[in-house]
Amino acid sequence: MRTLLSILFIFSIFTTYAQENYIINGVIKDSSSNETLYGVNILVANSNFGAVTNEYGFYSLKLPEGNHQIIISYLGYQEQTITVDLSENITLNFSLSETSESLDEVVITDDTEKLNIRKPEMSVNKLDISTIQKLPVVFGEVDVVKSLLLLPGVSNAGEGSSGFNVRGGAVDQNLILLDEATIYNSSHLFGLFSVFNPDAIKNLKLYKGGIPAKYGGRVSSVLEIFQKDGNSKEFKANGGIGLISSRILAEGPIVKDKSSFLVGGRSSYAHLFLKLTDNDNAAYFYDLNTKLTFRLDNSNSILFSGYFGRDVFNISQSFKNTYGNAVFNLRWNHVLTDNIFTNLSVIYSDYYYGLTLDFVGFNWNSGIKNLNLKYDFNHYINDNLSLDYGIQNTYYEFNPGEIEPSTATSGIINYKLTKKYAFESALYLSAEQKLTKNLSAEYGFRFSNFFRLGQSELNLYKGDQAVNFNNDFKIYENANPISTKQLSKNKVEKHFWAIEPRASLAYSLNDNESVKLSYNRMNQYLHLITNTSSPTPLDIWAPSGKYIEPQILDQVAAGYFRNLSDDKYSIEIEGFYKFIKNRIDYIDGANLIANNAIEQVILPGKARAYGLEFLFKKNTGRFTGWLSYTLSRSEQQTPGRTAVETGINDGNWYKTAYDKTHDLSLIGSYELNSRWQLNSNFIYQSGLPTTYPTGQYRFENLTIPVYSPRNSERLPAYHRLDISATYTPSKNMGRNYKSSWNFGIYNVYGRKNAVSLNFRNNEDTGNNEAVRLSLFGIIPSVTYNFKF
Amino acid sequence: MKNIKTFIVLILVILLYSCEDVVNVDLEESKPRLVVEASIIWRKDTSGKDQIIKLTTTAPFFDTIIPPAKDARVEIFSESGVTYEFDEVDPGIYRNNNFNVELNATYILNIEYKNELYTATEKFKPVVQLEEITQTQNGGFNGDEYELKGYYTDPAEETNYYLFRFTFEDLSIQIYDDEFTNGNRTFAYFSKEDLEPGNEVNFEIQGISEQFYNYLYILSSQAGDSNGGPFQTQPTTVRGNIVNTTNPDNFAFGYFRLSQSDDLTYKIQ
Repeated sequence: MRTLLSILFIFSIFTTYAQENYIINGVIKDSSSNETLYGVNILVANSNFGAVTNEYGFYSLKLPEGNHQIIISYLGYQEQTITVDLSENITLNFSLSETSESLDEVVITDDTEKLNIRKPEMSVNKLDISTIQKLPVVFGEVDVVKSLLLLPGVSNAGEGSSGFNVRGGAVDQNLILLDEATIYNSSHLFGLFSVFNPDAIKNLKLYKGGIPAKYGGRVSSVLEIFQKDGNSKEFKANGGIGLISSRILAEGPIVKDKSSFLVGGRSSYAHLFLKLTDNDNAAYFYDLNTKLTFRLDNSNSILFSGYFGRDVFNISQSFKNTYGNAVFNLRWNHVLTDNIFTNLSVIYSDYYYGLTLDFVGFNWNSGIKNLNLKYDFNHYINDNLSLDYGIQNTYYEFNPGEIEPSTATSGIINYKLTKKYAFESALYLSAEQKLTKNLSAEYGFRFSNFFRLGQSELNLYKGDQAVNFNNDFKIYENANPISTKQLSKNKVEKHFWAIEPRASLAYSLNDNESVKLSYNRMNQYLHLITNTSSPTPLDIWAPSGKYIEPQILDQVAAGYFRNLSDDKYSIEIEGFYKFIKNRIDYIDGANLIANNAIEQVILPGKARAYGLEFLFKKNTGRFTGWLSYTLSRSEQQTPGRTAVETGINDGNWYKTAYDKTHDLSLIGSYELNSRWQLNSNFIYQSGLPTTYPTGQYRFENLTIPVYSPRNSERLPAYHRLDISATYTPSKNMGRNYKSSWNFGIYNVYGRKNAVSLNFRNNEDTGNNEAVRLSLFGIIPSVTYNFKF
Repeated sequence: MKNIKTFIVLILVILLYSCEDVVNVDLEESKPRLVVEASIIWRKDTSGKDQIIKLTTTAPFFDTIIPPAKDARVEIFSESGVTYEFDEVDPGIYRNNNFNVELNATYILNIEYKNELYTATEKFKPVVQLEEITQTQNGGFNGDEYELKGYYTDPAEETNYYLFRFTFEDLSIQIYDDEFTNGNRTFAYFSKEDLEPGNEVNFEIQGISEQFYNYLYILSSQAGDSNGGPFQTQPTTVRGNIVNTTNPDNFAFGYFRLSQSDDLTYKIQ
């Protein structure tokens, strides 16, 4: 803390010397909706001065006294130029108009994902929501997370699996933030769709490496998703009717130009048809997004965001399953001084899982809740240096499960698994600095602390060893606790801390070419307890503590970036290597459901991943699109703790369930005329790792396969082609109600891509057979979208 | 409790727009190992004297014949010092018809096969009575299938593990622990799509050790339909309690266990 203060002090002295400079600051918005714009460039003509807006549309720029020509440029918007005579600090807010809609001719300037050559930011995937909405998707359901899979370094464990994997990392290693609130489960219907309503989203950014010090708590990636603020100019509504779900979103001013609201809802409705056929079963999901924005004055804004989503499965009243996320967030944006922007957030997030099994006679629920208080500062010191610093504090409550009888006659007894509590706190400081004309750097550190708090019952083991190795049978077994410890949840049971250094460098070779380098260390204190290939909604989160060490990642990445032909094309090539310590693995037969002693079934292991990513984009013109290719390897190892122990998979490295050697996506979009737009995807991926039987035997009337080493085989390669067309009727011109149709075909040539190969005994013939499970054949879809 | 995940995965498969077909896969072959099925069962209404041990070897996965393990020497030693020799009556089937049951006593199994000695130790596990079987008709996906519940009362003072064998058309097994039912009167649940009035279903309850329960738990997750797919655990080689003392790397599959059992046959009304 003292070092931080002294650093700040030095910087403040630094500022006082540059006295004849003045500050221009302000907020940049969209002229039709007052939606703030993130990443707008503010350039000063004939100089190297410049600034970029932050996630709240705010910028601050320090310039010498005198006349300046300021250019505001943002792709997809009309450029604005203004001349100022600077003799004092001033606030200049801008409203930018979109280019395309006001002109008669189709102007294709659809790319806000332009590559920034000079910024020391790398390993970032950005997708504009309008790009996402054009991509052909299964059932025509626009999906934010599924779109990310088309970019380098992002994959998943196959169709119908939940979550996503970044650079060979696990699903639980992604920090997913919706308006800064943590989302613990990003999937609806076990992974078929993601929980984000595309209409409510302004933009998103995925950090795969070189992660700024501002973020922490997950080792693989940060997915930042921003909801729209809501239109404070006029009332607008839009929506869509699709095969699986329909959505509606309304936004408008509360007080014009001052405050706005946004309410969006989405729901699937297949279960309604089931009801008509007198069927008791139901499977559906819904979610609700809300936002309230109050611009009090130039220096103060209050933003309120909320999200609530649930999945519901009911089967003939005897099986009821409900789960989902709820978050809300209250933020205060405050311009502290002309060059310090602050944001104070109070965030609550919650993940709930509930299950009723009437035929067994019980109710079950589990979940995680957290309350987060954070205060972030953007400090624009001068043209060459800006600082981000802040503090974050999070209190967690983990409910690993409660079970109760669902009927009076049930044989089930009331049972509560021990609740766990923890407190995570972090302090960070990060500098972005232009070192020379061509070299810029972002560097800093995060000081993270994790306090595992007391709980009503903590098992103690002989030699603190919760898992024993049975040397006779060569298997791992639960140890029996020798006693238990009770500690108040106001007391600290175990404290972890770490200094996590972060650094990235960008060196521009010329105006269009640069090389970048980054290193980051990150600690992850929460672990998703799951031993399946892809997490399920009932998996629980567990905090680090006496028996689980925090995961620690080191990652290095290097890349080459180039814009070609006046930014018409861009190329990004990156290589990465990462290593993770203390990755949990599970002993054979580990039972994770309703297990009050998870420590008895886990072993510490390690994980590593490395790869090469390539992205070529065509950004402008009638034809746009990209080619993405990733060559990578993702592995895990759990050696024995002593020489006699076998470890997992005999202590050898094995491929993770989501390792894909080759991963290629080719995406194209063609603007045929003002009415028709054609899109297509082609995807080719190596088959997922799997384990094949090498023999069989009979025991107690069961046919038991004998398996090869874990994940030593691969499923057949995965590939498919999708196409879609968007039709915008010409009668839309000049009227308020606008509509469009989206027609799509998923998996055009109907490839039966294997999700898994099951080796089983055919009950009728008594013979063993290999059965391929494939999910989606040719799936046509149609979606109607409207706005007014 | 352990079946819940399987159940949920089953629902997922139903929900998904999915398709299954049989494909040809070339598999590597591992070398054969001895497989021991030494399940000594004492049904409450019998003397328990006639006991059988089955020895087989592993076979290539797509083979239809499981080879018997012939010419082995099989013996069980009891805690009280008695040796029971098991003679090969059919290829791979070894029998003793003078076995004496001592509940809770420790027994040792010795097998000599191809000049290697295999051994295992286990206790004879008692079990409570199977009290009654009841019938309802609201199970299954459509809520109209027959469900049968076999009731028993779990002893409160100890941790118990159960193996249930259901015989209807063929044999299926389930395992239960008493973590959430300790000391209560509870039930084992059986339902099958094609059950109809007049069908007879046999319920058999057996007492088993914790270690055998864990073994069966892993085994049942590897067998049958449940492997593969995004929500499955990683398949693995499952080791039982048979130790090769001559050459530990050439371990055997299977298990030696001793269980008391009780059974009831129910005719659907």
